Amino acid sequence: MKYFYLLPLLLLTQLATYAQLPNFGFVTHEDMQAKRSLIDSNANAEVQLEYGTARMNFDDNTGSLYIDYEYQAQIKIFNKKGFEHGNIAIYKHIYKDGDMDKLTDVKAVTINYVNNEFVRHELDNSKIFNEKLNKYTSVSKFTLPNLQEGSIVQYSYKLRINYIFNFKTWDFQSDIPKVSSKYVAFIPGLYNYNVVLRGPLKLSSSNGVVANGCMRINGRDINCSKMTYVMDNVPAFIEEDYMTAASNFRAAMYFELSDYMLLDGSKRNVTKTWKDIEYELVKDNRFGSQMKKKDAFKELMPSILKGSTDELGKAKAVYRYISSNIKSNGFIGIYSETVVKKALESHSGNTGDINLALISALTAADLDAEAVVLSTRKNGAINTLFPVLSDFDYVVAKVNIGDKSFLLDASTPMMPFGLLPLHCINGQGRVISLKKPSYWIDLLSSEKDYTRNNMTAKLGDDGKIRGELITYSSGYSGVDKRKAIQKAGSIDEFVEKLDEQKPQYRILAHEIENLDSLDLPLIERYTIEMLGYESMAHPQLFLNPFFMDKIEKNPFNLDERTYPIDLGTAKESRLTMILEVPESFELKDQPRNLNISLANAGGRYLSSTAFEDHKISFSQLLQLSKPIYAPEEYLSLKEFFSRIIQVQKTDILLKKSGK
Amino acid sequence: MRKYCLSLFTILCSLSSLTAQENYAIDQLPATLKSRATAVLRQEETTVDMKSPELVITTVKKAITVLNKNGDVHGALSIYYDKSRSVQRIKGSIYNAFGGLISKISMSNFSDESAVSNGTLYADNRIKSFSPVVQDYPYTIVYEVEIRDKQNLILPTWNPGEYPDMSTLQSKFTFLCQPGTKLRIREYNFKGKPEVIKTEKNDSYSWTAANIPARKAESFSPDPDTYNTAVRIAAEQFSFYGKKGSYSSWEELGKWEYHALIKDRQLLGAEVQNEIRTLVNGITDDRQKTRRLYEYMQKRTRYISVQIGIGGNQPISAAEVHRMAYGDCKGLVNYMQSILNVVNIPSMYCVVTAGNMKKSLDPDFASMDGNHIILCVPLKTDTIWLECTDQNSPFGHLGSFTDDRLVLACTAGGGKLLRTPVLTHEMNQQIRHSTLQISKDGSASGTLTTRFSGDQYDNYGELIQEPYTEQLKKLKEIYNIDNIIFKDFKLSQEKDVQPSMLESLKLEIPNYAAKASTRMYLILNAYNRSNTVPEANTRTLPVYINRGFTDEDEITYELPEEMELEFMPENRTLKTQFGSYDMTVIAKGRQLIYKRKRVLNSGTFPASSYEEFTSFMNKVVDYDRGKAVFKLKGS
Repeated sequence: MKYFYLLPLLLLTQLATYAQLPNFGFVTHEDMQAKRSLIDSNANAEVQLEYGTARMNFDDNTGSLYIDYEYQAQIKIFNKKGFEHGNIAIYKHIYKDGDMDKLTDVKAVTINYVNNEFVRHELDNSKIFNEKLNKYTSVSKFTLPNLQEGSIVQYSYKLRINYIFNFKTWDFQSDIPKVSSKYVAFIPGLYNYNVVLRGPLKLSSSNGVVANGCMRINGRDINCSKMTYVMDNVPAFIEEDYMTAASNFRAAMYFELSDYMLLDGSKRNVTKTWKDIEYELVKDNRFGSQMKKKDAFKELMPSILKGSTDELGKAKAVYRYISSNIKSNGFIGIYSETVVKKALESHSGNTGDINLALISALTAADLDAEAVVLSTRKNGAINTLFPVLSDFDYVVAKVNIGDKSFLLDASTPMMPFGLLPLHCINGQGRVISLKKPSYWIDLLSSEKDYTRNNMTAKLGDDGKIRGELITYSSGYSGVDKRKAIQKAGSIDEFVEKLDEQKPQYRILAHEIENLDSLDLPLIERYTIEMLGYESMAHPQLFLNPFFMDKIEKNPFNLDERTYPIDLGTAKESRLTMILEVPESFELKDQPRNLNISLANAGGRYLSSTAFEDHKISFSQLLQLSKPIYAPEEYLSLKEFFSRIIQVQKTDILLKKSGK
Repeated sequence: MRKYCLSLFTILCSLSSLTAQENYAIDQLPATLKSRATAVLRQEETTVDMKSPELVITTVKKAITVLNKNGDVHGALSIYYDKSRSVQRIKGSIYNAFGGLISKISMSNFSDESAVSNGTLYADNRIKSFSPVVQDYPYTIVYEVEIRDKQNLILPTWNPGEYPDMSTLQSKFTFLCQPGTKLRIREYNFKGKPEVIKTEKNDSYSWTAANIPARKAESFSPDPDTYNTAVRIAAEQFSFYGKKGSYSSWEELGKWEYHALIKDRQLLGAEVQNEIRTLVNGITDDRQKTRRLYEYMQKRTRYISVQIGIGGNQPISAAEVHRMAYGDCKGLVNYMQSILNVVNIPSMYCVVTAGNMKKSLDPDFASMDGNHIILCVPLKTDTIWLECTDQNSPFGHLGSFTDDRLVLACTAGGGKLLRTPVLTHEMNQQIRHSTLQISKDGSASGTLTTRFSGDQYDNYGELIQEPYTEQLKKLKEIYNIDNIIFKDFKLSQEKDVQPSMLESLKLEIPNYAAKASTRMYLILNAYNRSNTVPEANTRTLPVYINRGFTDEDEITYELPEEMELEFMPENRTLKTQFGSYDMTVIAKGRQLIYKRKRVLNSGTFPASSYEEFTSFMNKVVDYDRGKAVFKLKGS
């Protein structure tokens, strides 16, 4: 270790000169001695202190504005698992003109406590690696030398960001706890930002003071608001199942430029009112103009409608025409990328192309159609307080027929008419109409996710069960089943696979209905045979009637839940079985007939068994009626499923009569 | 925590000037090639022209008909490149089902991204890729690509029929070199003869394959390399990132690797050497010394992937690893070897193809193969193998990542192939004992201990470093029983050459035994139920079991006084060439003792035995779900 003896002194002076935060560059004995995080004793590492500043500046040479951002952090590594937090990556945005955020002044040091002494190991800057990830992002990566259990890591850097619209987002929460996270934003008085704190956590403190002359433009001093936001004792962010975008819940400060003042005192709006946005969208050549391309469909219309006269029939015909004639090129977005006419010719386009074409075509068929812009589940929640156009990443059509309206997405294959794909079921969307002011609409799945399995069979004297199984799937289950059949290549290959995966069944014959009639439930009919019993000589037989959809694992097995449980849609699944048994047997015992419900009509489970005329009639119903459950409902969901699992473990007992 | 860490990417691609205008209409394809296929490789011509060791020009022309959405992946093209490889030319066209041109593709349609995986700090690999977006199937995509390599140590290979879901109409591979160039050529599962033409200008070798149908993917099948056709070529005289050499055997290659890549990277400073000597002061046994120093290395360092220097094949110097306290597999193995050198314990830097599937280096064909480095320490009494990227790995334990395969030891005297230790089904054990009290309401509570050894030692590898609450969360997934609650979980390691991991815990399972009116149902195999294996109407490939194991479970149930036994599953015994299964249930007063022993043998068995195999495996699934039924006394 002698090698490093000279370093500490050097480093101290160096850090001291640029450190702006008391503490930074120095380590207290208290920080060094911390054995575990007080916020979460299980954390592998912890941010002991994090400090960022961002200020807007004016570049006299280019005449443009930019953000100067400085970041400093001190991380305590508790154990080997925490070593990964000694690997640092700093992401830089690459702009359309090839310009990129500029990273400078990277400094990093590992501080260990050896033989009652602080020993420092500084990062060798030749070990910082730059990598262009893709067109939009570049990353600078480095790792801290000499990490040990108990090391403290400090690093800092400066970043020049040539894009002021979103100022600089600050993440209070990350995958390890933070003792203190502090952000200071110097915002010139001329600039007005909408500032939003996302997530359920609250700031520990925030204040704003005037900072005189924080920026100079053309030799003139401009005053700023110096905003200080602090969050202390921030727990690590942990993603849970059944959750929409993590960015909806992770504590972070977001900025969006709303308006600014020019030096002459005139005001320019950037973020607008809904009225401005409507106007902008309707006027936009990539949006409103594409909604109006009625002419493109004029000649085609008679052949599309094929004689449909009622409005619903017409709407369905147009929807099917567009979804089968323009296929998604995989890109989403609210704008038309290639214009409707070209998309129609090339049979390919993005979401904007396809659904704006759908709106034009619906209008050409004299139907009342509007556009709905929305944010997909992955993209996160929409800010409904003030309009932020860049929040939206998807557009669908809304067609109004009589007093009903239907939401349509022609860019996702295999959707029934009126059912939005799950990725669109995310809070509210904004309806943009050519005729009236815009308004919010709830994005709900119009059909529940539904499956039904009916089995009619007979237990033979040879111990084999033979009969017919019919499965109905609609809503998202129908979509998923159709996708699975498509993926298998053909119906025969799908059934072959099914047969092979269920060794207890043999499928003797099959028939699949409504594969292409997307608005109808998908029906699978199978003639099956299964080995029930190797021998029927036993005086008693146990039979488990839960032949399908058996829940082996509780989907809600954790002890607590922080965020809402978002299933996206209501679900229902039904099971019925009529099984004829040999006359010599009679029913002696059966699973308890269960009828349980979740609070507030949240769901229901029923199971019942009856025996008559040598036939067992069994039925089961499982309903989850709400698309979203509150975190407080988690434990009742867990208990609900637990009771289902218990009843599914019990059997029907058949006994030979007279024994 | 084991990591692959060499980036020897095999080269895709070829050159050709096709003359006549092709007809890409779908009706030109024979039906046999469409069956089970998601795509058809209609034509592939790869020409590798080794102008000199420093210039290898590869041209590829490929025409692929994509039959449905699942085949899109075969219509996509990805080309890796780095400092020693450049993509000279890419062009292509897309045709519809009738052979009509839809669109043309050029270099600008390709995305250019870093090919560095998330876990890697640095590597200079990049990838150019293109994925066609065509919604009307089938369509045909035609590519022409030219790639230049500034090295010839790793040459393109030919792998027709590589993807089971893509059939091949025609594939041709041509290798050109200067007249008289010394080559070694290895053909795998190739039935024909190559066409060899030697002229004044060059030597030419070419191979063709035609009409390879698509196949169904089959479970428990062997390494595809054992049945797929392939041709690999190695040049005797080579140039690699500015280093020259020649080899025609593993012995020569291993020697070159040692001298060119490793030898000069092993010097440790005098201070460090003293520290190392002090560490083993007083220890006389070499094995104990090695162990002491291995643990020292584990404690001091961590794994960081940094692929720089000679195509990512040269280790960071031992002195730097010491200074930074991190390294990748090469760096850490080289560091460990350098440490052992200080105390005069000889060891060998070994190149291995790591992964769960056992893959040996080909003894008949020396080439730059492998993706990982381990250290072999031959001692007087036995040989110790060291995995250096895992800070928790027991001394001498390789596990399923590198077991039972041929590896190349690179030494000053020359390379040699060595076999890593085998883990047999007798060694790969999971032995579990549990006692569960069942209460009147069906709830279970009790204790459990498990000993894991052999490759099953690693079953809980993920858990060992986790904080306690995280361990409990993961246990819930491992045991996967509704409502289960764990207490007093302890995991301890017995680190030895035959290491074992010991688990002990207390548990409660509310309502484990389900009740219906007067009866109670108890699934006897609480913890270790097996899963089904798909059946198959036709089976073409041999049945392959990569690694065997032995699981033993013994659960003693204490039953409530109020209940009496009404029914219990029969004892079961299965004995097959694939393994065995023994299950017994003994009722003894209020106790019910469930015992299960399941053995799976490793090995290769004929395709015709697949039905017997699935029958064995699925019977086990059935028996594993056996229930005992109890009745309320007096009912």
